[in-house]
Amino acid sequence: MTRVHDPGRATKLAALVSVAVLGSLVLAGPVLAQETPTVTAGLLQAALVGLGYYLSNSPWILGIGGFFGLYRPLVAGLFVGIIFGDPVRGAQIGAAINLLYIGFISAGGSIPADPSVAGWVGTALALAGGLSAEQGIALGVAVGLLGTIIFFTRMSVDAVFAHWADARAEQGDISGVARMNWLPPQIFLFIISFFPATIAVYAGAPVVQDAINNLQANAPWVLKGFEIAGGLLPAIGIALNMRFIFRGSVIPYFFIGYFVSVLSGGGVNIVAVAILGAALAVLHVTFLGTRPMEPKGAEA
Amino acid sequence: MSTEMMGMGGGPDERQKVSLTRGDVQRSFWLWTFFSHANYNYERLQGTAFAQAMAPIIRKLYKDPEDIKAALKRHLVFFNTEPNVGGIIHGAVIAMEEQRANGAPIDDDAINSVKSGLMGPLAGIGDSISQGTITPILLSVGIGLAAAGNILGPVLYLVAEVGIMVALAYFFWMQGYDRGRAGVIDLLKSGALDRYLTGAGVLGNMVMGALTFQFVHVYLTLHFGFDVGGGQVKDFDVMRDLLNPIVPGLLPLGFTLLTWWLLTRRRVSAIWLLVVFIVVAMVGAFPIFAGPDTPFGCESILNAFFQPETCVAAPPAS
Repeated sequence: MTRVHDPGRATKLAALVSVAVLGSLVLAGPVLAQETPTVTAGLLQAALVGLGYYLSNSPWILGIGGFFGLYRPLVAGLFVGIIFGDPVRGAQIGAAINLLYIGFISAGGSIPADPSVAGWVGTALALAGGLSAEQGIALGVAVGLLGTIIFFTRMSVDAVFAHWADARAEQGDISGVARMNWLPPQIFLFIISFFPATIAVYAGAPVVQDAINNLQANAPWVLKGFEIAGGLLPAIGIALNMRFIFRGSVIPYFFIGYFVSVLSGGGVNIVAVAILGAALAVLHVTFLGTRPMEPKGAEA
Repeated sequence: MSTEMMGMGGGPDERQKVSLTRGDVQRSFWLWTFFSHANYNYERLQGTAFAQAMAPIIRKLYKDPEDIKAALKRHLVFFNTEPNVGGIIHGAVIAMEEQRANGAPIDDDAINSVKSGLMGPLAGIGDSISQGTITPILLSVGIGLAAAGNILGPVLYLVAEVGIMVALAYFFWMQGYDRGRAGVIDLLKSGALDRYLTGAGVLGNMVMGALTFQFVHVYLTLHFGFDVGGGQVKDFDVMRDLLNPIVPGLLPLGFTLLTWWLLTRRRVSAIWLLVVFIVVAMVGAFPIFAGPDTPFGCESILNAFFQPETCVAAPPAS
């Protein structure tokens, strides 16, 4: 949540790719055979998703409950699932999308993407299209890249309100300065986040449904590709987080965690692994101290 | 130094002492916790949020309009740190403002240098703690549960994450206020934070390893048919018959470590990897090589590298 950097060439390319992907879905949509949609998005449901997306970036839920709560696709997925009447599938899709952003750090150097819009709008569209959790990842990623437009708009325009605050400071108006920090920027944020997200869900859901039906009938390999990507992309999210923690004397624990899971076969219980990890953490700190792992290198 | 005090001609000891209550410091804390990113922008980042958090403090400490103006301007400048751990700066600055209002010789430069000097280091430490370890660990647990169809996953994540973050933020804020500037630097040097970060690193690596096995799927379904005589063909599956017997789960592990190596050692951007992985997946799925002569019974030769279930036995020749 610290330094933010401008989108590089790769970001722009990625944005273009996602526009192209979504654009071709839009174009492909109407051609297709209609089937009964899995989930229909009414205006109220779309608006609730838009509201959730706004709240995730807003200060209203303790501040912390926004960025560290609703902003995460895992949490967003559950709420979107509730909105569409299928909390379990919503949470599963949100969890899958969140994998890619598990190492998301809003500081320099991380994926310049918007996990929140990927979680809120991505989950809604994936539910509407009847996608599996793994297939939903690629869709969420594309939406998440587009969401950066909202972030950069906000970061640029909000500077204006800082000058409004300066003017109040000049008059010694304490409440005025305080108000400039939340009132105008939140009205602006509501406009640029609630409406696009609502429209994306309301107008996008039928398009995505048609496109998915179309793909299923004519080019099932694309959906297969989504699924394959769903198995590869989590490696990026995990590796991004490993930049912070996969260093020094604690590296072996990554392999312990991995092979404990291998040995337990398909049924990995993540809570059990976490409890084992906490026990090992106490042992490690008690007997080996802290020297080898330093917090530097977390270039935040 | 307020003008009315000067007018009275009294020394510092005759001044009326203004002191902050615990409630004032807490009010400031909540204002920051709620609104630290309400007006996040490229020019000042959290600058205006710092000023809003200082509003109750300024209102209590300064009565002279000139002092109020100066204090507001002082806290509207560029500021950016990690909002929870970084609250230790605000605590220390509140303590300095309180001393200043009571006549201590603390000028603008002293306050500015504490803010600008500590915000960078605390952004680094704070991001390592909150976004780099606590959040991913709790997310891993939540994701692991949710993927198995348990909606308690997100609920547990939300409750634990918000609870821990608020407690952490409150702790650091009050530490800053109680210890003051010198105490903050002592705390940072004491090694206590390193100890927690190392412990969190152990736990983080464990759950990240488990998560890798659970969610990264890379298949190699290269088959060879051996003619064992008598018209019998023995199927040799590279993954099933060669790799897994040596070390099960080697491919996802290797793939994840390769991704990590590309990101950190080769400095490949995450966005490029994203694009490359999606393209690889799509190419892998594209049936361009498909045809009746495909030797592995797959829609696509490349498909065989990723998805075993699409490459079951070759269709019987009719």
